[in-house]
Amino acid sequence: MLGPHAAHSPNADDLNTLYWVMLAIGLVLLVAINLAVIGIVMRFRSARGRQPRRLVVRRPAQLGTAGVFAAIVVVTFVLGVIKTHDAKQVEASGPNGLQATSTLLAQRSLTLPATPASQAPLQVKACGQQWIWRYEYPDGTYSYYELVVPVDTTVILNLCSTDVVHRWWVPGLSGKFDATPGESNQTWFRADQTGDYDGASYAFSGASYAVMRTRVRVVDVPTYQAWLQQQGADIQQAQTFVQQVNGEG
Amino acid sequence: MRAQRPELVTDGPAPARPRWFEMAMSSDHKDVGRLYIGAALSFLVLGIVCFLMMRLQLGVPENNLIEPVTFNRLLSVGSATLIVLFALPLAFGLYTYVVPLQIGARSLAFPRLSSLSVWLYIFGGGLLYVSFIYTPPEAGFNSWPPLSDTIFIENNGVDVWIVAVGLAVLGIVLQSINLSVTIARMRAPGLAWRRLPAFTFSGAVSSWTMIIAGSTMLAALVMLEVDRHFSGVFFDAGAGGAPIYYQHLSWIFFTGCYLVFLLPAFGAISEILPVFSGKPLLSRTALLGSLAAIMPLGLLAWMQNMMSASIPIGWLYAAMLMALLLTIPIGAIFVNWIGTLAGGVLRMRAPMVFALAAISTLSFGLIGELIQSVIPVNWLLADTTASTAATGYVLVGGPILGGLAALYYWFPKMTGRTMSEGLAKPSAALIVLGAQVTFIPLFLAGVDGQQVDIFKFFKASDAINAMQLDTLNLIATIGAFVLALGIVLSLINAYIGIKGGTPAGHDPWGGETLEWFATSPPPPHNFDVVPDVRSDEPLRDIREAVRRHDASSTKPAETTEPVA
Repeated sequence: MLGPHAAHSPNADDLNTLYWVMLAIGLVLLVAINLAVIGIVMRFRSARGRQPRRLVVRRPAQLGTAGVFAAIVVVTFVLGVIKTHDAKQVEASGPNGLQATSTLLAQRSLTLPATPASQAPLQVKACGQQWIWRYEYPDGTYSYYELVVPVDTTVILNLCSTDVVHRWWVPGLSGKFDATPGESNQTWFRADQTGDYDGASYAFSGASYAVMRTRVRVVDVPTYQAWLQQQGADIQQAQTFVQQVNGEG
Repeated sequence: MRAQRPELVTDGPAPARPRWFEMAMSSDHKDVGRLYIGAALSFLVLGIVCFLMMRLQLGVPENNLIEPVTFNRLLSVGSATLIVLFALPLAFGLYTYVVPLQIGARSLAFPRLSSLSVWLYIFGGGLLYVSFIYTPPEAGFNSWPPLSDTIFIENNGVDVWIVAVGLAVLGIVLQSINLSVTIARMRAPGLAWRRLPAFTFSGAVSSWTMIIAGSTMLAALVMLEVDRHFSGVFFDAGAGGAPIYYQHLSWIFFTGCYLVFLLPAFGAISEILPVFSGKPLLSRTALLGSLAAIMPLGLLAWMQNMMSASIPIGWLYAAMLMALLLTIPIGAIFVNWIGTLAGGVLRMRAPMVFALAAISTLSFGLIGELIQSVIPVNWLLADTTASTAATGYVLVGGPILGGLAALYYWFPKMTGRTMSEGLAKPSAALIVLGAQVTFIPLFLAGVDGQQVDIFKFFKASDAINAMQLDTLNLIATIGAFVLALGIVLSLINAYIGIKGGTPAGHDPWGGETLEWFATSPPPPHNFDVVPDVRSDEPLRDIREAVRRHDASSTKPAETTEPVA
């Protein structure tokens, strides 16, 4: 109830770990402050004949208090940097994953693994448009709303937008990343389990923003290859049909 | 031909103009302050109506009560109302009224500028609501381009938003300049910076914040309007600009607004706690230093709202560090409050009750904010209702509970009457309860992935809504109504208090600062005599002097001691 979606990708795991750490720190502070205030109010409500007693704070006490908060800052900052770095570090595809389909491109916002070419990640272009996501695969095949990827395979999403600012997030697979017109942005995931993962757009994008959702369908490698072939054939067939209709019209 | 010299007519004084006309034309800081506060509370009611309608729509899944476009309009107008038309003007209204009295000044530095500023704000706010007659804005709470560009939103709603927000922010920036000059140049003799009352000091910091953040927003708004109607290319990715520039500029402003939710509440609470616990602040130096530190750290953390954007990671680390560093001054302020309360004799009057309620509610919001200050957690919680919940706690704890605490505290000074304690306590209880019942479910729904700003959410059968989103949203809607009821109770209380509250006297609470030296309500010139300030508790010194004087004057032989 209190926790985020179960992580099904290494980087989502980094995010979830830090969430629990921060929640624990937060809850301790929250309980301490509120209990202190409630306790003091119960204890020191006005009573006859008592004089207010002034606390004396000496310098060591002040520095000690500041030190406690400074320690929280240092710990959370260091943990934040470590986990951010880890989540940005793209891992290689696993043994059950797809073998190389594309060459590596230089990435601005991700750190890429030094892996043999056979384990190179699958690069998919994810374009937001009002109000649907369009996914384009390395061979030029595309799909709307649903991204189909093989299990245990590193997938790099190159985010782009053709109109307004969108923000891609599928809970359990990654963090949120912007698709802004004119900017390049990437994220990645490596799903460890087949199944459907639902997500949505998280940047307000106008009238039908609430229905701009998406789904990642993770399948095994043969199913993925069959699907890709079928999708390509379907697109080809539809285009031929449209050309025929246009020719007749 | 030379103009004739005017003749002096001496047949009696000019006929008295109606009271409302005098008030509207007045440049007296007390009239301007009351206009600000009255208008801000009126806009609060309108903002609450917008948000209650949105919560009704989100009470049940796949609701069709309100159309998507209407929902987006309520969202755009309601957010602008709560931030720019309620929270900022309430803060600056209280400052406008209280600061000159607290520093022993007879007016603000630029009296007419303050009159202009309040009317710019009221005119801008009115314009936003008049737009419901034709086309209200619909581009969301910060009107990001390209969505706010004419390609995507053709109607003039966004233009209304730009002009309305622009006028209100211009008013606030002018008043910030006014207040910062007043505090810098017009303090009573002996009132050094280190002796400034906490509320006035927070006023100086808030003013500096708004001079920076407000001017930034004015620039962004002008560029946005130029982009819309004068073929500008500031935020156009295809023509050499970039949408992300507007994101930076608008977040600098909204981060500044967030600080102005906090600073006045911090200042007011730090005034109220010592008075009602009968002992001075634990450490004035630490408190004032912390208030001052919040401004640079907070403003420099603006990019912590943009952690999903394609910004080089080093800048995001810097923003994260600034946001986390805020823990030190804010933590020091909370410790200061707890140390002030401990060992005191607590009088649980209305201002004290609201101040304590504000401390508790603020702690939830600020810790919620701390949790998502680290980048990985931000990637999880940003743009979900979990971040709404954290901001909501701060909005209720700061401008609403903190603002009402300040209002209950200074109401006797403004009107000469006190508000009813019988209504105040249920009101505070309902607000605290309503905030928890609204924001805990919203936080949980956000952790589960519910987006901000959506006009409907989908049934729980979907995997993304795996948990009981239906239940959580329904509870949040009920909580929002409890919260609204609590706020309205206090507004009714204020109305009753103005009409027929019990007369308060000049110093009902036993305050230690100079405003309690003036009569209630103060005369137009505030003080017949401005006293010399010898410590950070000038009124205590005056009381001591009077007591000594009385004691010595009853003994006929010893009347030689001079009296301050």
